[in-house]
Amino acid sequence: MGYFQLVNARPAEVLEPDVGDATKFDKPWIVIVWNDPINLMSYVTFVFQKLFGYSLEKATELMLDVHHKGRAVVSNGSRERAEFDVYRLHEHGLWATMEHETL
Amino acid sequence: MGNHGARDIVTIKKGPVVRTKNGAYKLALPKDHREVLTHLITQLRDSLLNTTDDASLRRLFPTAYHNDAKKDAEYQRLMREELLASRLSSIEISLSVIARHDELSEAEIDAFARSINSLRLVLGTTLDIAESDYGAQNIPDKTSAGSVDEKTNSIEIEQDDEEPVQRELYEYLGWILEWTVGAQSEAL
Repeated sequence: MGYFQLVNARPAEVLEPDVGDATKFDKPWIVIVWNDPINLMSYVTFVFQKLFGYSLEKATELMLDVHHKGRAVVSNGSRERAEFDVYRLHEHGLWATMEHETL
Repeated sequence: MGNHGARDIVTIKKGPVVRTKNGAYKLALPKDHREVLTHLITQLRDSLLNTTDDASLRRLFPTAYHNDAKKDAEYQRLMREELLASRLSSIEISLSVIARHDELSEAEIDAFARSINSLRLVLGTTLDIAESDYGAQNIPDKTSAGSVDEKTNSIEIEQDDEEPVQRELYEYLGWILEWTVGAQSEAL
């Protein structure tokens, strides 16, 4: 996880102010998994359980949201945390992206 | 998403991937299955070593920031190589365990699952698989191995047309992955 270590080692970059939208810092980043026709439903459920420690019920609920609604928010937190989760999801072949949560 | 809950329909007790009593895993695959998987995974490794920009590989390197091209470019610049290294590592582990006949560790079965899934993503992209492709006849459930003839336990592939071959392999890989996930889920 070289990148995440790099981010930790350079706090000045993480804390660089985004002038004009200070409230952004109060909003968490959300990690979204998008529906795709290739990944198996059972595999997606398993990955949610494994990576995030979700129960089978919670993981299945999220998987079904992805399948039926096209996307589901599977985690949230700091930008660094979200990037870490996105990376792990990509490692497992899931189509995951991140964005600032919108109210 | 593919495979609409087909894993619930379990009538075969012994599959190609099983969890052992001591918490390890075994690949119960005949020689020709191992050869096919080795061939496919080696092809994937060679493709990745050649380039990661091929259209068929795009699902292996997804966008991270879908609404911010600048942030995504920065992310890709820093993480793409790491993701490639991770995929290649999983591939090497997979080639090793497919060649062996002893038990697999949790980390090894995990690498195997990710490599099989990577193959499905590449084949599915090549085949332009869509949600509508998942009619009941295409569900790779545990009870029918897709391309596997269960009487002879051999993989039947027509040699004269590439797409049917790829589709057979895609379904076969789905069958393998379904059993792998089933075995891994026993550990949760």
